Amino acid sequence: MAKQDELYANKILLNAVLPVVKVIIESKENFSKSFKGKNGVVQFSALNEGEKTGTHFIIKNGAFTVVLGIAEKPDLEFEFPNIPHFNRFFTGKTKKFPKIRGLRHIGLLIAVFKVLLYMPGILLTEKPHEKEADKELYVKLMFYIATSGISQLNRAGHPDVTAWTKYSPDRIVQMEVKDRPEFAAYLRVKTGRTKAARGKYTRSKPFLTMLFDSVDSAMRIVMGVENMITATEQGKVVLLGPPEMGVEVGGLLFLVAAYTK
Amino acid sequence: MPLTENELLELEKKAFELRCLCVDTVAWAGSGHIGGALSAMDIFVLLYYKYLRINPKDPGWEDRDRFILSKGHAGVGHAPVLADRGYFDKELLKTYNHTGSDFGMHLNSQKVPGVDASTGSLGHGISIAVGTALAARVLKKSYLTYCLLGDGECDEGQVWEAAMAASHYNTTNLILFVDRNHYMIDGPTENVMKLEPFADKWRAFGFIVKEVNGHSLRELSEAADYALEEKTAPVVIIADTVKGCGVDFIENQAISHYMGLDDEKIRQAKESLQRYYENRVKGA
Amino acid sequence: MGGMNYDVYSQIKLQTMEVYGNTLCELAAKHPDIVALSADLAKSTKIGLVQEKFPERFFNVGIAEQNMFGIAAGMAKAGLTPFVSTFAIFTSMRGLDQVHTDICYQNLNVKMIATHAGLSFGAAGSTHHCTEDISIMRTMANCKVIAPADGYETANAVVAAYETPGPVYIRINRGFDRLVYEKADYGFEFGKAVSMAEGTDITIIACGSCVYQAVEAASVLRADGIKARVLNMHTIKPIDKDAVLKALEETRRIVTVEDHNIMGGLGSAVAEVIAESGRACAFTRLGIPDCFSMIGLHEDIMAFYKIDTNGIAENVRMLLGREIEEDEDWTDEV
Repeated sequence: MAKQDELYANKILLNAVLPVVKVIIESKENFSKSFKGKNGVVQFSALNEGEKTGTHFIIKNGAFTVVLGIAEKPDLEFEFPNIPHFNRFFTGKTKKFPKIRGLRHIGLLIAVFKVLLYMPGILLTEKPHEKEADKELYVKLMFYIATSGISQLNRAGHPDVTAWTKYSPDRIVQMEVKDRPEFAAYLRVKTGRTKAARGKYTRSKPFLTMLFDSVDSAMRIVMGVENMITATEQGKVVLLGPPEMGVEVGGLLFLVAAYTK
Repeated sequence: MPLTENELLELEKKAFELRCLCVDTVAWAGSGHIGGALSAMDIFVLLYYKYLRINPKDPGWEDRDRFILSKGHAGVGHAPVLADRGYFDKELLKTYNHTGSDFGMHLNSQKVPGVDASTGSLGHGISIAVGTALAARVLKKSYLTYCLLGDGECDEGQVWEAAMAASHYNTTNLILFVDRNHYMIDGPTENVMKLEPFADKWRAFGFIVKEVNGHSLRELSEAADYALEEKTAPVVIIADTVKGCGVDFIENQAISHYMGLDDEKIRQAKESLQRYYENRVKGA
Repeated sequence: MGGMNYDVYSQIKLQTMEVYGNTLCELAAKHPDIVALSADLAKSTKIGLVQEKFPERFFNVGIAEQNMFGIAAGMAKAGLTPFVSTFAIFTSMRGLDQVHTDICYQNLNVKMIATHAGLSFGAAGSTHHCTEDISIMRTMANCKVIAPADGYETANAVVAAYETPGPVYIRINRGFDRLVYEKADYGFEFGKAVSMAEGTDITIIACGSCVYQAVEAASVLRADGIKARVLNMHTIKPIDKDAVLKALEETRRIVTVEDHNIMGGLGSAVAEVIAESGRACAFTRLGIPDCFSMIGLHEDIMAFYKIDTNGIAENVRMLLGREIEEDEDWTDEV
């Protein structure tokens, strides 16, 4: 029986981290090329007391659709025997691959392998990226993971998160990089419900915005290389909105980060 | 000052010309309030050619005498007088009632030079007149305010509110005329809503009443002269007139309140006015 | 005596109407063109204060409102600036033909300060209430409409009325108004809404006696973590479109509150801006629900029709719960 914390971490990894594989593939030309023209359903799953949870990708002619949940007949499946193993794999603590079904789909397998091997390097590194393209990808992915992560914890009923969402009026919390609208993600909260989305919320002014002055600042601060307080003093990040809410949201982001390490 | 013989003949001629111009204006407009315009014409002429201290070149002159046509529907009679007096080009009368024109059934003080108040809703003009008269007092100016009411108009309660105020504040710098032509839209005034004893009503409200023949320029003038001197109470000059005066086939008919004139009727009207004028000067 | 309760320790122990009367006296002392008129309500509307100081510039016409507006028009034509006071119901209804034709149509410099607006004359009943005047006066072309929130704002509005050319209609209450400002010098600007509280959860737009209620409601809501923006829309015509659009964009939820029928007043004016903007908005108008009011104390009637602090807070909570358009998709984007 997986512990509660493991379950929470699993939700984040399954439903917030794994989906960004699509973003990685779409952002990097070599990966898009390797999936070009390919078709199939690729699934990542974990067994927990006989029940299976997972996320799968429907690939049609190289185009990706992410679906949270189990597919009936995936062509290729990475089936983890338990949740802890799944978690350790996706947090880079083990390189031991799980059982793989559908080995005959070699082309698809190789393409997926490539991405899986690439992921720790871009996401889990503690050294700041040097190449601009890497910085940008990192920031994008982390924004998406952060907002989805909080949303997943809410759905999973994590008490710290639900306490925040339960009585909230309809509000938007947004992370963005100044003058770079393509680097943005937001979380909508309303009386217990959450929705994570990519891009900027355009319908009204977000209740709270975490505004980074550049991609580089965003990377450093999110990575933890730069201290949040000093960064704020230096104007590298600014919280637009009520300060007490900023503190609350900051706490939730740390929570998500903790589960993904 | 009493009218001299020459003055009288001049004014008679003016009245005739302007009655004709009024008929023309009604024709250009398509239709108009001809009855009440013709009945008021002698009062218009007397005021605009003898009494009103005005300057057509400077319609906004602060110290001018004011004339407020409380029976605003008689605009089709007022406008020709203003044109003739030099406030604007007579040619503009041809646009009367046309789309986008500055001239409509009820003259707009914002658009037509010489018009001191936009009236049309009855009973308003007399209040405005009381207002300008009181303003003269506050501003310590000596201009006079003349106001012309219709008789049917005096059904409106507001007329009597204004009369009370005029009496209360003793606005002797206000001179009222009533065009008592005895007809309104739905028939004779005494059938619709009786006004008699009309003069008594004004007296009861504190006015000194002068009842005159509204088509005798001499009588009108004597009454005006009296009003200018009287300081103990405001004066109202009830002018007994004929609705449609001068155009025999519409005289004393309620229908003349508002009607159209075709070419034939215009011709007949002008002929009638000619005869009427000749009779007037014969008797003068 | 009915009317609003007041705090005896308030800085200004004056009824709003007294503030008006005093301000007018000050203006009249500076500007000889100002004259004052009333229809036997000089004492009730406090314009009588001018009568005491400048008797030769005050005119009582007796109970004859239509005549009064006509006279005011005549005076304005002669170059004076008449301030005319009677109850709101008489200005906007009994004398409307005159207001419309003599004053607005001729775009004259007549300043109509209408007292006993809304339900502030509670005990007198519907014959003396006026919950239609904002609606009526809004549709008079050339006329500006102001509903000041308290005594300080009234003083500012009266001065602004003098300085703004053409017809101006100002509606104030009977009795005392709770103070909303601490001093007169808070930056009153004709045609510009005043932000009384900031927030992005919802906007409450109020005018007149409802501004105090809205500010109090926002405090109550803040204790629950709800951050409501409060706008004092003192000038209803011309309405501060920019402030409304900003509230629309930034908060997407708007509640209007007025001591007036929900039809045609502040709520409708704001709704016009919202509808024409094309943006979605959760919106509700608080006011008198198109009926004739009961009699009673002003505060009690306001509570009954939910235009007081509690009523506003309740409606804000309700509106916050409402879904706007098709934002029903609560799945995370993957």
